[in-house]
Amino acid sequence: MADLLLQVKNLVKYFPIKKGVFRKTVGWIKAVDDISFEVYEGETLGLVGESGCGKTTTALTILRLEEPNKGQIIFDGKDITRIKRSDMQKERKHMQIIFQDPYSSLDPRMRIKDIIAEGMLTHNILKNTQERYEKVGELLKKVGIPAEYMDRFPHEFSGGQRQRIGIARALALEPKIIMCDEAVSALDVSIRSQIINLLKDLQEEYNLTYLFVAHDLSVIKYISDRVVVMYLGKIVEIADKKEFFNEPFHPYAQALISAVPVPNPDYKKERILLQGDVPSPANPPKGCRFHPRCFKVMKICSKIEPKLKEIKAGHFCACHLYDK
Amino acid sequence: MKNKKKLLLEIKDLKTHFFTEEGVVKAVDGVDFEVYQGETLGIVGESGCGKSVTAFSILRLLDYPGKTVGGEVNFKGENLLKKTEDEMRKIRGKEIAMIFQEPMTALNPVFTVGFQVSEALMMHFKMSKEEAKKKSVELLKKVGIPIPEQRVNEYPHQLSGGMRQRAMIAMAMSCDPILLIADEPTTALDVTIQAQILDLMMNLLKEFNGSLIMITHDLGVIAEIADRIAIMYAGKVVEYADKKTIFHHPLHPYTLGLLTSIPRLDMEMKRLNVIPGMVPNPLHFPSGCKFNPRCRFTTDRCKKEEPPLIKIEEGHLVKCWNLDKVEKEVKKGFLVGV
Repeated sequence: MADLLLQVKNLVKYFPIKKGVFRKTVGWIKAVDDISFEVYEGETLGLVGESGCGKTTTALTILRLEEPNKGQIIFDGKDITRIKRSDMQKERKHMQIIFQDPYSSLDPRMRIKDIIAEGMLTHNILKNTQERYEKVGELLKKVGIPAEYMDRFPHEFSGGQRQRIGIARALALEPKIIMCDEAVSALDVSIRSQIINLLKDLQEEYNLTYLFVAHDLSVIKYISDRVVVMYLGKIVEIADKKEFFNEPFHPYAQALISAVPVPNPDYKKERILLQGDVPSPANPPKGCRFHPRCFKVMKICSKIEPKLKEIKAGHFCACHLYDK
Repeated sequence: MKNKKKLLLEIKDLKTHFFTEEGVVKAVDGVDFEVYQGETLGIVGESGCGKSVTAFSILRLLDYPGKTVGGEVNFKGENLLKKTEDEMRKIRGKEIAMIFQEPMTALNPVFTVGFQVSEALMMHFKMSKEEAKKKSVELLKKVGIPIPEQRVNEYPHQLSGGMRQRAMIAMAMSCDPILLIADEPTTALDVTIQAQILDLMMNLLKEFNGSLIMITHDLGVIAEIADRIAIMYAGKVVEYADKKTIFHHPLHPYTLGLLTSIPRLDMEMKRLNVIPGMVPNPLHFPSGCKFNPRCRFTTDRCKKEEPPLIKIEEGHLVKCWNLDKVEKEVKKGFLVGV
C-alpha cells in the first residue's frame, strides 16, 4: 500500500451564528462534525456530497484557511493543527488548492505570469525574475496555454483557460497534494473533459495526490481511487471506488447513486426518491442525521448516532443497518 | 405512430439576433423543430449555443438589443410572432408557461409565494383574491410543499432551493398550460432534489397530456425524460432526432463528441474523449460549418460551405458534410467502455 500522506482525525469545524447589536453567538453551524479519514500518496480521494454537507469546509480546514475547532490534521507525518501561521505558510508549499469558479479565483488586476509566480516569490524559490518567468512559461505550456500569453490579464481568457491557469498556479510550487474544490463543476461539457484529462495526466507525471471535492458522482467515479461520502457534516461512507459504485452500503449513498441521470436511454435502474430537503446544519436531526429522509429508517436511528465502522475490508459505513 | 400525434408547436427557421455596439450577435440563426402534444423535446447545448434565447423567442420575452428577425413560431397553427402584445399576454402563463433556472431570481422577493402563484389565476381566470388563494394552497400541496397553508404566506427567501423550484412549478402549472418550457430547471439543485423535481414535473405533465420543451446541458437528464432531441451549436440545430437515435446512432461529429466526453455511471471509461478548442465567439463565427475548427472530420468543403440540415430518414436531420465518415466511426462502436 502507498504511504500515508494526510490524516484527518476527529476534525470539527463550527461556524458561529451571530445576531443582534452585540453580535452575540446564538448558535453554531455544524459544518464539519467529527470526521476522520486518510489520504494516501498518489491517490485521488473523491469527497462527495450535496450542498451544505461540509465537503468544501473540510478542504479549507485541512489547509487551515479555516481554523479547526477540534481534531488533528497530520500532513506528511507532521501535526499541522496548531502550528504557527508562519510555519503553516511554509507547509502550504506542499498543499495547494484549485477553486471552483475560475472567474473569481484569479485577481483581475494581475498579469497571469504574476499570478502563477506569486507562490514562488512568497516561498523564495527562483529568486531571479527571469528564471521565474521561464518557469511560468513551462508551466503554462504544461497546462496547454501558449507561453506567449503570460503577459495577459485573466479577463482575456475563457473559463476553461482560466481553470488551466489556476492549475498552473497550483503546480508552480510542486506540491504533494492538491485540493480540487469543485474544479470542473462550472465548466461546459466539452471543456470539462479537457480539464479532467489534464488533471489525470499531471497526476501521473508528478505523482500528485488529489483530494477531489465534487457533487457530481459521474466525475467522481471517473477520477477517484477511493470515495468519501459526506452528509450534513458527517462521513457516512468510505470505500474503494469500484466497491462503492457496485455495492454502496449507506442508504444515502444508494439514493445518491440512483438519482444520477445516466446518458443512456436503455439503462434501467431503480430510482430511490428521497423525501424532503437536507435539514439545516445549524440544527441537525438527533441520532443519525439522515434518519428523517431515510427509506430504511429504524427505531434506533432517531436515538443513537451510528459510528463509522469497517464493514468489509477497506469499506466503512455509518449506519445501524449493519449493526451486528 | 408519429402521424397520429398532434403537432403543437412548430419552429421554422427562427432567427434571433442581438444588435450590440460591437456588432450583430446571431444567437439563434435558423432553428427548426417541432413539438407534438404530450411529448418532451430536449434542447441540448453548451453555454452560448442559443438554447435559452430560443425559448425566450418562442414566448417573445426578449428586449432590446435582442430581436427576432425571421422565421415562424407556429403554436396550434398560429404564428406567435405576428400576434399583438395583448394577445401574447393571454397566451403566456395560460397556454405556454415557463420555468427558469434560478428560482431565487425568477421569483419576486417582495411578494409572497401565494400571491405570485395566484397572480396568473386572477388574470387568466378572473378569479377573486380568495378563490385564487385557495387554489394556490391546492397547487402548492400538489407540488409537494409541506404545510401549504402556511407556506402560501411566506416569501421566497424563506424557502429552500428545492421548495422554490416547486413553487415555480406550481406557478407555471397554475393555469394548466398545454406547453411548458423549462430552462435548466434543475441545474442549480442537488441530485437527490433534482430527481424529485423531474419526477414531479413529468407526473404533472402526464396528468393533462401536456408537452414540454426541456432546455439543458445535461445529457443524463435528457436521456431520462426526452422523446425527441435537438442538439444546438453556435445558434443552429446541428442534429435533430428521437432519443434512441441520438444516443445510439448519432451522426453529427459534435453529438458524437459530447456523448464520448462525459464521464458516466453506466460504464468504465478509460479516457474521456476531448473536443478540442472552445465554443466560438458569437461575434466572430467561423465561416462554413461553425463546428469545423473543432471537428476531427473537417475537410476543405466544411471551411467554405455551410452544410444544410440533411434528412437521413423521417425525423432524423443532421447538419454535416461528412456523414459517411461519421457513420463509419459510429458503427465501429463509438463508446469505449467495458
